[in-house]
Amino acid sequence: MSEAFHPLVKQLLDGEITLAELPPELRTEGAAALRLLAAVDRTPVSLPTTLDRRVMAEVRRRGAAPLLRRAWRRLVEPREIEVRLRIRPWVAWAGALAAAAVVALLVTRLPTLQRDGRSVHVATRDSVYVRFVLYAPGAQRVAVAGTFNQWDRDAAPLMPAGTSGVWTTTLALPIGQHQYAFVVDGERWVADPAAPGVSDGFGRRNSLVAVMAQGAHTL
Amino acid sequence: MGDVGEVTDATVVRAVLAGDVERYGVLVRRYRDRYARYAARMLGSLDAAEDAVQDAFIRAFDQLAQCRDPDKFSGWLFLILRNRCFAERRRERRASRSLEPRDDAVASVDRPDGAVEQADWTGALERALGQLTPEQRDVFVLKHVEGLAYDEIARMTGASVASLKMRMHRAYDRLRELLKEHV
Repeated sequence: MSEAFHPLVKQLLDGEITLAELPPELRTEGAAALRLLAAVDRTPVSLPTTLDRRVMAEVRRRGAAPLLRRAWRRLVEPREIEVRLRIRPWVAWAGALAAAAVVALLVTRLPTLQRDGRSVHVATRDSVYVRFVLYAPGAQRVAVAGTFNQWDRDAAPLMPAGTSGVWTTTLALPIGQHQYAFVVDGERWVADPAAPGVSDGFGRRNSLVAVMAQGAHTL
Repeated sequence: MGDVGEVTDATVVRAVLAGDVERYGVLVRRYRDRYARYAARMLGSLDAAEDAVQDAFIRAFDQLAQCRDPDKFSGWLFLILRNRCFAERRRERRASRSLEPRDDAVASVDRPDGAVEQADWTGALERALGQLTPEQRDVFVLKHVEGLAYDEIARMTGASVASLKMRMHRAYDRLRELLKEHV
């Protein structure tokens, strides 16, 4: 006897056809296969509430570590900042933007931010201005979201540079490594395909930028 | 539990990222049991499921800044738990590779008249599921224990419906082989 179910019986197990729709010669096999599914244990499972306490105890312990690091950072001296510009071609994004895109990061020593009443971050001794540029012709609005603004897709909009399709903004980012992605038209997430990134857990990638006292660069 | 249903995941995630670590407890209470059955069926043990869920919550906290869509925290947490279950299953398979096949345990539920009781069937099926690959067991549990459709599983896992069906159909054949005395 074959070890494999007939393809129609597999469709039956998948719920795509009923037993009555099987050819008569397959109904015995189909009925036996359905007995297999009838044996599936779907009893709900509850875990003890002690799990909550164990998780939270560990979370509190781990949550304390970044505070120590931040405190240490506040003790260090102001940093020299240098200018770096890096442009990456935006390629082959499955036609989603119907155009190429470019992301650039600019770090400047003494920037003055003017945003027409818009609230902007102010660089401190622990932060560096980073300019984000995206070439996205046809986009109605563009923003950059990342770990520096809790992935808030409305927190950091980019401004169009004329009608060239170039969108830019400048943000003061804390020293450290940040993940980011652009949000086009409020819903389309765009990462930098030319830069190694990290998975966000949903099969997409976040781009990485390292902000240092000496400047910033994508990773 | 009263406050648990009133705050969105995104609000809680942003509060935690802003430093309010205690708010993470809302997510733990909210999702402690959501995927417990999946973990238990994947790992074949409540104790192992509890460990896996605990680890997943802690790992999710460590990586919370990478959660791009805080509104989808539950799906993101599930993927972390799923990866944890896969790793545990692979570790178990490596550890048991030198052991004798466990088909005898499955065959032991056979009855001379073929009338296997439902409880015996469930036990036999559970043991047979333990011999599937992690990928096969994953899709079987999501579809036939959690009751999800292929397209829902595809959205959760990022796999295509076609590849999910292929895994499932191979799982059907493997289960038939393991339970051939009964099917």
